[in-house]
Amino acid sequence: MSESNANPREPGSDRDPILEAESKRQTQHTPFVLHVWVRQKLALLGRLTRHQLWFFLIMLGACWGVVFESFRAHSWRRTVRYEFGVTLNSVVGGGLIATLFAGTLTGVAAVSQTIYWLGLAGLAKMTGSILVNVVVREIAPILVGILLLGRNGMLSVTELGLLTTSGQIRSFQAQGLDPFLLLVLPRTLAFTVGGFTLGILFSFASLVTGYVISRISGVITNPVWTFFYDVVGGMSGADYIIIPLKFITVGFVVGVGGCLTGLTATNQDNLRTLLPRGFSRGLLIVMAVSVLFSLDL
Amino acid sequence: MDTRATGPVLELNKAVPSFDESGLPPVPFSMRLMPGDCAVVEARDASRTTIFADMCSGLVPLTDGSVKFMGLDWNELHDRETNALRGRIGRMTRRQSWADFLGTHMGIMLQQLHHTTRDMEDVVAEATRLSEWFGLPGLPVLRPTMLSDGDLLRAACVRAFMGRPRLLLLEDPLEASSADLEAAFLGALTTARDKGAGVIWLVRNNAVWQGYRQGITSMWRLADDGLVAVRTG
Repeated sequence: MSESNANPREPGSDRDPILEAESKRQTQHTPFVLHVWVRQKLALLGRLTRHQLWFFLIMLGACWGVVFESFRAHSWRRTVRYEFGVTLNSVVGGGLIATLFAGTLTGVAAVSQTIYWLGLAGLAKMTGSILVNVVVREIAPILVGILLLGRNGMLSVTELGLLTTSGQIRSFQAQGLDPFLLLVLPRTLAFTVGGFTLGILFSFASLVTGYVISRISGVITNPVWTFFYDVVGGMSGADYIIIPLKFITVGFVVGVGGCLTGLTATNQDNLRTLLPRGFSRGLLIVMAVSVLFSLDL
Repeated sequence: MDTRATGPVLELNKAVPSFDESGLPPVPFSMRLMPGDCAVVEARDASRTTIFADMCSGLVPLTDGSVKFMGLDWNELHDRETNALRGRIGRMTRRQSWADFLGTHMGIMLQQLHHTTRDMEDVVAEATRLSEWFGLPGLPVLRPTMLSDGDLLRAACVRAFMGRPRLLLLEDPLEASSADLEAAFLGALTTARDKGAGVIWLVRNNAVWQGYRQGITSMWRLADDGLVAVRTG
């Protein structure tokens, strides 16, 4: 037995020793030519760029499609309403405990610490505006987006990816069931509603926990309504629009991104390629939305 | 969208499928199916059978000719009209067609719930009646992966015959099935034909349809040179 055969393939490894040896054997016979090598690398770069741009354009189109179709009464058939209800139940009902828990931890880690240090620095009057700007406006959408992505976004990637690769999407089409209308539209809108709901609950949980911890440790002595009055007083007029809009947008793009990653799976894809792609795309989308809303244009 | 109430249900008029998109031979396919007709199409290759059924449903792009369903050319319709029209086709396919995140009962009723405004109770009652007709103890509510192959085949029969399909595309429903399913299937087939449905029964084995020989109106073979008519006498 040769040495290469004696080394078994490691579990979880993408490298197939047989294919690798074959490709090595082929490359051994090919002399190195610089311009061919440069062309190959440029082609790889081009393919990568085109692929990313392709997904971005598909996503833009799908976003418009979801908005457009959601305003058409004809789109809201029983099956679409059913899928919307099931997904909303899964997003909000299933993610409620995790979101409240994450909000509580954020309250312990971030809110109470902010209150403590601002009090120590004699900047207690700024507590409200800083909490709104840091916790509610920046941290909450990102954490809620990641929770949505991990709990339900990846589920959509898997379900729709398996439907696509196994040909079930084609079977849906043969029955006259448009996968966009039946799956993408209701799921995306359920994610949108879920993103807003969970974002508000997360913010509320983190602020309440932060207040309770600070009150117990004696950092603040104000009653809870005074604390919340300070927080509300720290919000500008634009915050009343931007904060809900950010929660809504994060939910929307996580929904569209997850569904499209699943629907654009090819026959070469499997769970090992789909899941990392879905997660990295989702994370990028959440971060991009967060940054876009934070730009002071 | 005005469908035609009279004339052929399905008409393949020198339809040449795109070889790149389908893998079917790029030769003209011609066939005419009237309401109540039952055409048997024999094909050895299972994947070709499925693609042929796809072509009848307007899912395969053509390079020439036309495929008309209820008088309407698939190529001339918009997406919404195409989908609405496909809602009138009952189909049994070898391709995977059960989504596991939906219960089997939803998979059975999905087409009716999506394309019609029939009462939910009415749809459930019909699904339950057909389930019992095909030998199931009732409307299956388990996930499809939890059903046996035999039960899934029965559920596929229920789904295909739900509502009032104008066209039935049935890919080898009786292959490796039990005798009681054969009797139920042929009974449902006759009822659907009496109500005006055209049937294309795609088979791999000629022995399968011999029990229904008297009811077959035409026989075809799916070969490399297209659709060839076979004498039934």
